[in-house]
Amino acid sequence: MSGVSQPVVQRSVFGRLLNPYLQLGICIVVSAAAQIFLKLGADSAEVGGPVASLRSGWVWLGMIALVGSLVSWLIALRTIPLIIAFNLVGATQVLVPLGSWVFLGEAIGPLRWVGILLVTLGVVIIARPLARMEDRL
Amino acid sequence: MTWLAFCLIMLSLLLAVAGQIFFKLAMSDHLVAAFRVRVFRFVCGIVVMTIGFFIWLGLLSRFNLSFLYPFEGIDRILLAFFASWFLHEKMTLDLWLGVILISVGVALVATS
Repeated sequence: MSGVSQPVVQRSVFGRLLNPYLQLGICIVVSAAAQIFLKLGADSAEVGGPVASLRSGWVWLGMIALVGSLVSWLIALRTIPLIIAFNLVGATQVLVPLGSWVFLGEAIGPLRWVGILLVTLGVVIIARPLARMEDRL
Repeated sequence: MTWLAFCLIMLSLLLAVAGQIFFKLAMSDHLVAAFRVRVFRFVCGIVVMTIGFFIWLGLLSRFNLSFLYPFEGIDRILLAFFASWFLHEKMTLDLWLGVILISVGVALVATS
């Protein structure tokens, strides 16, 4: 997939950063990272519950990442239709289990692999016509 | 599962979808709206989502996560209906296929 390309109208670095599809990509990666950070934080807090976990730097990093992902989501919504944006962000559902597998050593069962495959397939089907459209720009 | 629980699950999902529609109405470049109106829509989105979130928390305290979480797969189907209805977004066959694959996939990832 060609991934992110710049609309012809925006040539400055700032303009390119505001590209809605780049922002959507950032939203996906950052919100998946947020879940991993929050899990690391919750684990490091041991006993003491949700309030004690606020003492963990991971939890704060996770919350900052959540706010960041909301901001890029809102920027993406300026131009991308809601149905398309919402379903492309479904890729987070793939990244979170994959990230917990790679970084947290959690196991992925066979049924979950099937789910990951289906989500990936769905995201590719939705993203494909967009990539073609962007190429024409 | 009682009838009431099912209604609450649906309500929570509908509120989350409504929140996203408000966000889109607040942000869209294709709509003409005063800044004040956009801020109002954004706040509506936050309020509606917060109510949905607390209903969800209430449900979580009564049911297992593995039972509740797969319902999250449904919200993109609801969103597809409401976005084409309220926002007049165009649905294509490819889009429906993708939405259904992702819904089933999310439900599977969540249950297993």
